[in-house]
Amino acid sequence: MYIIKNALTSIKRNKGRNILIGIIILVISAASSITLAIRSSANNIVKSYEEQYNLEASISMDRQALMESFKNESSSQEEMIEQFNNIKELTIEQINNYGNSDYLKSYYYIYNTSVNAKDIEETTDSLIKETTKTETTTKSWGNDYQNGGFPGGRVPSGGQTTTKQTTITEKIFNDKVSSGAFTLIGYSSYESMSEFINGTYSMTSGSIFNDLSSAECIISEELAVLNELEVGDEITLLNPNDEDLTYKVKISGIYKENSDDANDMSSMFSRSANQIITTSSVIEKIIADDEDLSVTITPTFILKDEDSIDKFKSEVEDKGLSEYYIVTTNEEMVKNATKSISNVKSFAMVFLVITLIIGGVVLLVINMINIRERKYEIGVLRTIGMKKSLVISQFMLELLIVAIFSLLIGAGVGSLCSVDIANSLLENEINNSSEQIDNINKNFGGMNTYGGSNKTNFVGNNKISGVVTIEQVSNINAVVDFKVLIELLAIGILLTIFSSISSGVAISRFSPLDILKER
Amino acid sequence: MKNKKEIIKIENVSYRYKDAKKDEYVFKNLSFDFELGKVYAIKGKSGSGKTTLLSLICGFETNYEGKIFYDNKDLSKIDLDKYRNSDIGIVFQSYNLLPHLTAAENIILSMDINGIKNKYKEKYRNSLKLLEDVGLTKKHGDRRVLRLSGGEQQRVAIARSLSYNPKVIIADEPTGNLDKDTEEDILNIFKKLAKDENKCVIIVTHSENVCKNSDIVYELKKKQENKDGKQRKGK
Repeated sequence: MYIIKNALTSIKRNKGRNILIGIIILVISAASSITLAIRSSANNIVKSYEEQYNLEASISMDRQALMESFKNESSSQEEMIEQFNNIKELTIEQINNYGNSDYLKSYYYIYNTSVNAKDIEETTDSLIKETTKTETTTKSWGNDYQNGGFPGGRVPSGGQTTTKQTTITEKIFNDKVSSGAFTLIGYSSYESMSEFINGTYSMTSGSIFNDLSSAECIISEELAVLNELEVGDEITLLNPNDEDLTYKVKISGIYKENSDDANDMSSMFSRSANQIITTSSVIEKIIADDEDLSVTITPTFILKDEDSIDKFKSEVEDKGLSEYYIVTTNEEMVKNATKSISNVKSFAMVFLVITLIIGGVVLLVINMINIRERKYEIGVLRTIGMKKSLVISQFMLELLIVAIFSLLIGAGVGSLCSVDIANSLLENEINNSSEQIDNINKNFGGMNTYGGSNKTNFVGNNKISGVVTIEQVSNINAVVDFKVLIELLAIGILLTIFSSISSGVAISRFSPLDILKER
Repeated sequence: MKNKKEIIKIENVSYRYKDAKKDEYVFKNLSFDFELGKVYAIKGKSGSGKTTLLSLICGFETNYEGKIFYDNKDLSKIDLDKYRNSDIGIVFQSYNLLPHLTAAENIILSMDINGIKNKYKEKYRNSLKLLEDVGLTKKHGDRRVLRLSGGEQQRVAIARSLSYNPKVIIADEPTGNLDKDTEEDILNIFKKLAKDENKCVIIVTHSENVCKNSDIVYELKKKQENKDGKQRKGK
């Protein structure tokens, strides 16, 4: 088509005008490219958060429902405890049943039980009940007085009555907590070890067991010191119900508690001192030998997406979850985790829209001035028989060629700048991410991010969710991907069409002879 | 049309501006015939409607009463863009060339608009031939038109109007900006086109010299019925 050749000649021969338009489009393009790149980076980070920060559902006791039920039945404290004891705990079968859902990616659980005896009378959900028993005994005088004589020689009729009061102390306690010297916790997944992820516990020597099916455990520093235990030593766990049932576990690491509770000065030991952390397989073995052992199982279900929340809740209810249990999620926490980065994304979008509006208006005005300047050309082309549609096409084509050329240069300039800009805007996220990864690996007794040691990288091996790896953007491809280029091209074409509206209207309204007469 | 040579026929054409009063016509009931092989001059004082008549013949204005025929076809029923880029060639007083193009490129663009499919090299060769016919060289052809003199630009405009070999050449004051010698040269080109190439040349002019050199002169009189306002000048 000759209009392409004509458009190219016109661009070549009217450099000043086209350079001016080109600079404006280049600035718009560079600004758009930077904002699109920031948005794209932010999007990727949000996506990583969403992928790695699992949307989790847990089943917990619905205490409000429980209290409501107590209130309605105006139960005594004794009845309340009894009623509470009657609520059946979640079984592993139930958890597996709930876990077998289309709305879940996976699920895991934490076992909690006790080994050996431990007095827990002081816990709030136990009650000491005192009852008074009155005993009345009547003694007959008959033979004694007859045989030994009665003072005064008078014998009273009947016998002697004695009343005796006895106080009986009865302990009513929450039978879901059994006695035992040590709390034994069994994890079925690294993801469930939230204390190590959030830093409440951290390893001081050794590391967390590498294999979740191994017979290994980690113990507290205090327990280790008290009993002179070291990593590699073996300890024997006893079933509190039957101490003939023993289980040997090897110490893979020693941890300490960093929480505020550890600073409690009224206690010699921290709360976790008697806590032995092991794998779910160890506890499953103990349960297999003794079904009566009281074990609490806390499940966590990893949901596929946000839409699955309500569907999973109703599915679990349909499957028969007790009315005293409730399904809760970490939806709010996941949203909060991406809040700051989402703000950066929103800011980028607002900036893009403002850039496009200002750029579009400036381009429209320049194009209108341009058309007024080129009125004569339009008149000549129309008088020598060029169709209106072809004149409009040629003018649009000229703008499009300049726009594409400028867009590409602008995209290049923008991309170069966007690496640094994206990094500085996302600096906090990047620093937080690498710090978090380092801390978690440290807490687990694994390697740090930059360490070349042969220790396990718990985060890097995707053993733990909820940790997002955000790295410095080091190359253009990381921020300006194919999608960004397509978006940029679409913006360019839209701007060209928008700013060509003026030329289209003008060309269709100009009378060629009038234009030439004006000249 | 009775005469086979007739190429343009104006039949009882009246015209008034859109915002003019009902009976305020620029001209009324105008009837002219234009034949191939002749040079016509349309003369008249300023405001007599010469340029308006030219714009009707060229198809720039369509809001007129009466009929205008080109080669027996009613102008109001044909594609006017095609009519302008194939059937008639227009030469303006102010040349109306595209300043960012060379003389040859202006001519080639006109060929392109006409739809001539030849290769660029061939079109370039033909453009130089046309420039040669109007007295210009390759050197002129390769220059931007703004670097040519008024007379040279007018020759380029004539060459452009001939680029697709139209039957009719319509010129609006083609010698208005030129000196006497150049005017003679341009008139000779037009006469040659009529005689040698059997084209119909219609020139709108003030110039008596142009009228003298024309085969037929039509005179438009200001704001009055022009039915009798035409003069014929035989050779």
